Amino acid sequence: MNVGVAHSEVNPNTRVMNSRGMWLTYALGVCMLHIVLLSIPFFSVPVAWTLTNVIHNLGMYVFLHAVKGTPFETPDQGKARLLTHWEQLDYGVQFTSSRKFFTISPIILYFLASFYTKYDPTHFILNTASLLTVLIPKLPQLHGVRIFGINKY
Amino acid sequence: MANPSAVCNGHLHHHHQKQNNLLKSGIYKKNGITKGTKKNGISNGTLYKKTFIEHFEQAPMYVAVLTFLGFGVGTIFGYLRDFMRAWGLEKRNIAAEREQQKDFVPLYQDFENFYTRNLYMRIRDNWNRPICSVPGPQFDLMERVTDDYNWTFRFTGRTIKNVINMGSYNYLGFAETDVNALKTVTIELQKYGTGVCSTRQEMGTLDKHVELEKLVAKFLGVEDAMVFGMGFATNSMNIPALVGKGCLILSDELNHTSLILGARLSRATIRIFKHNNMQSLEKLLRDAIIYGQPRSRRAWRKIIILVEGIYSMEGSIVRLPEIVSLKKKYKAYLYLDEAHSIGAVGATGRGVVEYFGMNPDDVDVLMGTFTKSFGAAGGYIAGKKDLVDFLRTHSHSAVYATSMCPPVAEQIIRAMKCLMGLDGTTQGLQRVRQLGKNTRYFRRRLHEMGFIIYGNDDSPVVPLLLYMPGKIGAFARRMLEKNIGVVVVGFPATPITESRARFCVSAAHTREMLDTVLNALDELGDFLHLKYSRYSKSSHPELYEETRLELED
Repeated sequence: MNVGVAHSEVNPNTRVMNSRGMWLTYALGVCMLHIVLLSIPFFSVPVAWTLTNVIHNLGMYVFLHAVKGTPFETPDQGKARLLTHWEQLDYGVQFTSSRKFFTISPIILYFLASFYTKYDPTHFILNTASLLTVLIPKLPQLHGVRIFGINKY
Repeated sequence: MANPSAVCNGHLHHHHQKQNNLLKSGIYKKNGITKGTKKNGISNGTLYKKTFIEHFEQAPMYVAVLTFLGFGVGTIFGYLRDFMRAWGLEKRNIAAEREQQKDFVPLYQDFENFYTRNLYMRIRDNWNRPICSVPGPQFDLMERVTDDYNWTFRFTGRTIKNVINMGSYNYLGFAETDVNALKTVTIELQKYGTGVCSTRQEMGTLDKHVELEKLVAKFLGVEDAMVFGMGFATNSMNIPALVGKGCLILSDELNHTSLILGARLSRATIRIFKHNNMQSLEKLLRDAIIYGQPRSRRAWRKIIILVEGIYSMEGSIVRLPEIVSLKKKYKAYLYLDEAHSIGAVGATGRGVVEYFGMNPDDVDVLMGTFTKSFGAAGGYIAGKKDLVDFLRTHSHSAVYATSMCPPVAEQIIRAMKCLMGLDGTTQGLQRVRQLGKNTRYFRRRLHEMGFIIYGNDDSPVVPLLLYMPGKIGAFARRMLEKNIGVVVVGFPATPITESRARFCVSAAHTREMLDTVLNALDELGDFLHLKYSRYSKSSHPELYEETRLELED
């Protein structure tokens, strides 16, 4: 991968979320997920919204905060191997526009889910817990932090 | 230049007008990415003597969305297949550890191989195809088939004959086997043998090298030159000799790996400016001179700008006049890597310096390779005599690497003499002209068909954008079925949304060959829906000019 690479970008993973069309694709993906869930006849509207929220947050947690490293070899001698994708974004610079977008979008989804579930207590607990699992790892204070050594290596 | 003005886009003007002029010339930036077509007219006649038109058109948004969806589907299936392989539901074809090593700490992270395993393996048959003839305008391929979806290949024993070669860097057509043309090379081969068996500083400097270096210096119009056995090594071994710790390297975003490796080996500080973007370069230069080295604030020992003549993935030509005026203003050095542009651009094939009508003394270090236009191997560095004498003693390549072998040197000598006209014919000039004609024809026809092509109108490297990962494999395979060999590139070698097929036009291509390729591209473009361009020029504009037709009755 080193020879034949046409640019001097050390870790292309850092730029993927800034690419043109990525945010739109992401939004469309969430909409598709919601439409698929809504079209299943067993789920009522509140259940579909909570499921959308939970599945979206689960997917976001796994891909942005659990999987570490890059799916290709990078010429940076493994500096990014122990970092999750969120920590790799923009080489660790905080508060860039991609980071802000991906922080705000689960919150918006949470508002919508809370509204459509009519603030029912069970749904509320599920949605809030799910939102917290996705918001807390995004805090700048938790950059590179591994609680109880989980997911360290 | 006494007045504090900035040079941008060939217009010399003051800072507060810079933003205004950017909008006027049709260039606007968003997220640091230039949108729309970039055009540069000759309003300031002193810098650019002819129009400099480069295209980097962006595809419609739905193409980007579909590209990401393609990668997403590929990723999901990749995880599924990895899961099946891990749980024994599918056969593992890739190398595995031995039984005794199962409890050891793993040597490699298996996620780092994810892309290779799940995406690259699916379309792997489009790369590393063995050829069995000279890579001229047409070549022969060994036919190979796979029984297990590209994990292993098997040669059937047949060869696919006369495949049109659109991938080799054979710009001037010197990759030939004509016995008459190679007569001198055969004589030298019989006289000197094939190996030199020594480095330049020990016993490896032959009279052939001296002759070749004098010829290269004469060809480029500089004082002296030095040749090395390997093109990649010319960059990676000589940049550390020229710069060291405490120096600053300003390198273009899309520089080749050899330049990046040389820069990293030199232990100088590297700062990257946006591709061919003079504002970005000027900002870096100003910051470097104003703020100096990071903590000590001392002045930099040397500031060197690393650029290439033609960038092989984009097909763009460097903005040399602006860089030279910037370098003179801020007193930096310029290292120009003409690997793809020597022999390929310029009225007589002398590279970008001649293409822009500039003086070769303005560029401090002229570097190039003989692998592309001269049909040989190796590289050179040319410039002032002091520079080349310094490199003869201090270059890593001169001390440790074997020098160029004599038959290859003779091939370069005969190619260069042909180009300069010293062999008594005009064949060299004809080749350069033919290349120019082929380039312009090919690019014009592709633009008319409606493909998105990157790069300068005069560059023989033509990247055709494919965008979606599925189309990379489909395009290359179907072109091979039509007997045309192309090179395709995808992520991570290119940005994620910009996978492309790269054509290298050659002077040896005849009009019929180019027409065959263009017709095949036309068909394939319709079949694969590759014609995304929204600015395609028609070849008969008078048929679309309705006002003129109306007035003519």
